[in-house]
Amino acid sequence: MSCCVSPHEQRLLDKIEGKEDIYRASHPRVFKILETFDGMRPIIDVERAQYFTESMKETEGEMLCLRWAKALKHIAENITVYIDEDNLICGRGGVKGRYGLLYPELDGDFLGVAIEDLPNRTESPFSISEADARIVVEDIAPYWKGKTYHEALNAAFPKEVHKLSYDDPEGLNSRFIVNETSSFRSSIQWVHDYEKILKRGFGGIKKEAQEKLDALDPLSPIDNVEKKPFLDAIVIVCDAIITWARRHAVLARHEAETCTDAVRKAELLKMADVCERVPEHPARTFHEAVQSQWFTQMFSRIEQKTGTIVSNGRMDQYLYPYYKAEIEAGTLNDDEALELLECLWVGMAQFIDLYVSPTGGAFNEGYAHWEAVTIGGQTPEGRDATNELTYLFMKSKREFPLHYPDLAARIHSRSPERYLAEVAETIKDGSGFPKLINDEEVVPLYVSKGATFEEAYDYAVSGCTEARMPNRDTYTSGGAYINFVAAFEMVLNNGKMLKHGDEELGVKTGDPREFKTWEEFWDAYEKQHTLFLKTAFHQQYVINNLRARHFAQPMGSAMHDLCMKHCLDLHTPQIPEGINMGYFEHMGLGTLVDSLAAVKKLVFEEKKLTMDEVIGACTCNFEGKEDVRQLLMTAPCYGNDDAYADDIACKVDSLNVLFGQKYAKELGMHNDIRYVPFTSHVPFGKVVGATPNGRYAWTALSDGSSASHGADKTGPTSVLLSNYNSKNYGHRDRAARMLNLKFTPKCLEGEEGTDKMIAFIRTFCDLKLWHVQFNVINKSTLIAAQKDPEKYRSLIVRIAGYSAYFVDLSPDLQNDLIARTEHEAM
Amino acid sequence: MTPQAIQNTTGTVFNIQKYSVHDGPGIRTVVFLKGCPLSCHWCSNPESQSFAPQLAYNANKCITLSQCVRCGEICTAGAITRGEDDTVAIDWEACTKCLACTGACPAGALITYGTTETVADVIDQVEKDASFYARSGGGLTLGGGEPLAQPTFALALLKESKRRYIKTAMETCGHVDREALLTACRSLNMLMFDIKCMDTSRHKAFTGVGNETILANLTAVVEAFPKLPIRVRTPVIPGFNDTPEEIQAIVDFLKRLPVEYELLPYHRLGSQKYTSIGRDYPLGDISLDNDKFLALREISKQIGIAKK
Repeated sequence: MSCCVSPHEQRLLDKIEGKEDIYRASHPRVFKILETFDGMRPIIDVERAQYFTESMKETEGEMLCLRWAKALKHIAENITVYIDEDNLICGRGGVKGRYGLLYPELDGDFLGVAIEDLPNRTESPFSISEADARIVVEDIAPYWKGKTYHEALNAAFPKEVHKLSYDDPEGLNSRFIVNETSSFRSSIQWVHDYEKILKRGFGGIKKEAQEKLDALDPLSPIDNVEKKPFLDAIVIVCDAIITWARRHAVLARHEAETCTDAVRKAELLKMADVCERVPEHPARTFHEAVQSQWFTQMFSRIEQKTGTIVSNGRMDQYLYPYYKAEIEAGTLNDDEALELLECLWVGMAQFIDLYVSPTGGAFNEGYAHWEAVTIGGQTPEGRDATNELTYLFMKSKREFPLHYPDLAARIHSRSPERYLAEVAETIKDGSGFPKLINDEEVVPLYVSKGATFEEAYDYAVSGCTEARMPNRDTYTSGGAYINFVAAFEMVLNNGKMLKHGDEELGVKTGDPREFKTWEEFWDAYEKQHTLFLKTAFHQQYVINNLRARHFAQPMGSAMHDLCMKHCLDLHTPQIPEGINMGYFEHMGLGTLVDSLAAVKKLVFEEKKLTMDEVIGACTCNFEGKEDVRQLLMTAPCYGNDDAYADDIACKVDSLNVLFGQKYAKELGMHNDIRYVPFTSHVPFGKVVGATPNGRYAWTALSDGSSASHGADKTGPTSVLLSNYNSKNYGHRDRAARMLNLKFTPKCLEGEEGTDKMIAFIRTFCDLKLWHVQFNVINKSTLIAAQKDPEKYRSLIVRIAGYSAYFVDLSPDLQNDLIARTEHEAM
Repeated sequence: MTPQAIQNTTGTVFNIQKYSVHDGPGIRTVVFLKGCPLSCHWCSNPESQSFAPQLAYNANKCITLSQCVRCGEICTAGAITRGEDDTVAIDWEACTKCLACTGACPAGALITYGTTETVADVIDQVEKDASFYARSGGGLTLGGGEPLAQPTFALALLKESKRRYIKTAMETCGHVDREALLTACRSLNMLMFDIKCMDTSRHKAFTGVGNETILANLTAVVEAFPKLPIRVRTPVIPGFNDTPEEIQAIVDFLKRLPVEYELLPYHRLGSQKYTSIGRDYPLGDISLDNDKFLALREISKQIGIAKK
């Protein structure tokens, strides 16, 4: 039979047999570059942290935003600059190969331990040279001791909050109960308004800041104490990035002088011209536009850790005018445009978002980073936005096997058939791209939260599944990840958890063996759930008040309309006219709902089991109680379009929605429920004992809004419908939901398979679900790769809003992926 | 019949399969009705052949008698015995088919194939995926067994689907009551009709019945419903009809009819199910050569898509 493997699997098999990749000949430059770092363990580069620290030592007492700008200028003047061999685009923050940067201002208190642990960590290990390790331990870490954001946060949490947040007094290890994420991501993920830089350049922004400076009232206290240093910072940071870019021009020219290859010499001279022009001035060509975007994005990565990386925004929109003009003028063809973009991709792939804390590493396995490129969707006027460049991005994903950057396709009710067909074909390719985000859910929701239609139609996907409006959104720190399966366990154990023995953690809701009705059980659950929500919101309150004392972002602010208008740094808790879109995270929805349904059905309705039997079986991890486990598993499960389970899911969701509705106002933000775990459903599962849905102790929770592993038995249509059934559409207090589906290639075979995939995507759009992503792969391939990682080094799989090399994942997460239900052709 | 009477009609269903993408256009739900007048040796749904609900046992799911003895305690016939690896073994001779054990088994190792359902319940299930049908042109497919072996129930299911604007398709072996078939066609958007072999004695040897009724029924449907899309299908079975002559004979018969034609390759996916219902797999260890199948498929292409 034909088509039992996806094109991605076929390329792997070819590689194992020693055949050349079928697309190598048409993409020679980037394949060559890829081979220099493919599968390599990342290296920590300390220069950014070193120069940042040097400057910060000199500027104590000044306004933070100004200090940050001065530090960036110091970095820009001193950090090593590189021109990568063969590449047409330049700009990197560290050594050649895969590398990560350090941000000691964020979590420098981890550095001492981390430098020893990182090379041996199971999840996302890093290497560091001995000399650099010494610089970290002797020069960098000591300065930040007592000054980091994480230490301040740890000290600021009230005792009751701390207890559910951290395992130890220093807050080095998460409890994975109500887990704060702001200390390993300074902020929520972000998208810059790159179009502004392409059109005006940093020279234009600098001019704007100087004009504003000239217009300040020389007698006004606010103008002089608040606005002047902010505007000074903007001028300095514009100079900083221009300086950094020009150093690349100098280096390129220098390398050209000694280059003996005439072709490369010409390329280097052209690169020098481009780097002299952008990002200071507006871009004139496609090459200049791409280089300007990359300098901006890369310098933003140097500026600070923006948790899961700044995204690429709507690339098919803001690059299109440059592409179109050059195509029409005959100065660029599709192959050349593709090559420039792919030169950018290999640059992104080499920068690894380094998480020094163990919690951060476990959250983002496989060196996750999410510089999502957004394609498709609608124009600010609400018309379809696809263009020829949109299709070029998908072609690149099918032909160049690299998992960075992430690709996000916006879907709307009038997305053209060709667009959906190419989306379907790209999904069928089997490396997990693109993920789909639904305009029909995002746009009205964002309007209801305060955006104009124009802004909402122009959103860009950011990070894993979120959407941003670059000039309306304002910064909000990453929210709490809440382990509601632990809340369930606390009902079974009267406020305690198996892992923590006699420690009182939750609400004393009584001995559940005494409960007479399901309603009593539900009430107890609601109390534990509410305690967790309360803790999460208290965390957020502390975080919101603390963040701006530790972080500033002059470059990000320079690109933001509202920051420039009000002369406020983007980290300011409240910026006039801005919308703060925060979220908190529901961990293990499927696990929780199935466990609640099992107790309701087997204990209170069918009375086939007593509460004592259920608690006993969970406590002993079902040892010798397989019959009890099997009985529990006969209960209805979330993910089957079964109202019994889905109604419970909807009720759980409404607890979150209504709490956010009531208390987010006090935080000055939208703080809405989200279902996006990255890879954290694995570590969160490690703290929870066995659960009545038949899940064994310490194993992974269900991920995002997906069903529990193997619990979705009635096919992918039911999975979508359960997701739909469990949403509270009547309220605006909700954020992203991540949904994973796994298909076998056979299921989507041929043109008919493509047609059915298109219909499936259109129905996803009709149902107003937020997000869906697909793994199209055979389970046998994953198992083979686990056994023989060397051979399957380039196997890319979909994880959680991003794709990663399968062999880079920990064994736990690999098993989790293998266990996801595989939907076959029926 | 009144709509109420239609909805209350009951029949025996052994499976409802959602997200079916190979049984008619679009994304479909297949409702499998239990009972079949044929007993094909290669049948991949042996649990579909008998009309009555029946016991099936999957040893892989049994959690062993040391963990659970619920089935043994409830069985009064002594049909539950200890098998390999401490799992249950069924004494099929002793089993009285009371099915009590299937209600007692927590692990889903002992199950009943076939439950009595009303038309309303079945179509409620089918209608759940309506938003997918709307986008894909899919809908309900009746399969079996032979749907028209429960004619009242099958016709009621089709009528109720039409009432709810769900598109319908049906798979039939053709060996059915002519009137029932023609009535069904009135509520169908598509018919899938099996022609297995043109030689009636050979047909009888491998399926239990001759093919006269089947061939005549196909001709009758084509005459009465010239606009109904019909896809004729032939399962290609080694040792039965896997020769160019056999397929050419069918092609010659179909040439004058406005139908689509499709060959289905033999597979052994159902062989496990024979064991689960206490039967031996009649075809033993045979397989279909892929090149041979592709050559036969070339012959089948003489029948194009004759109608829109």
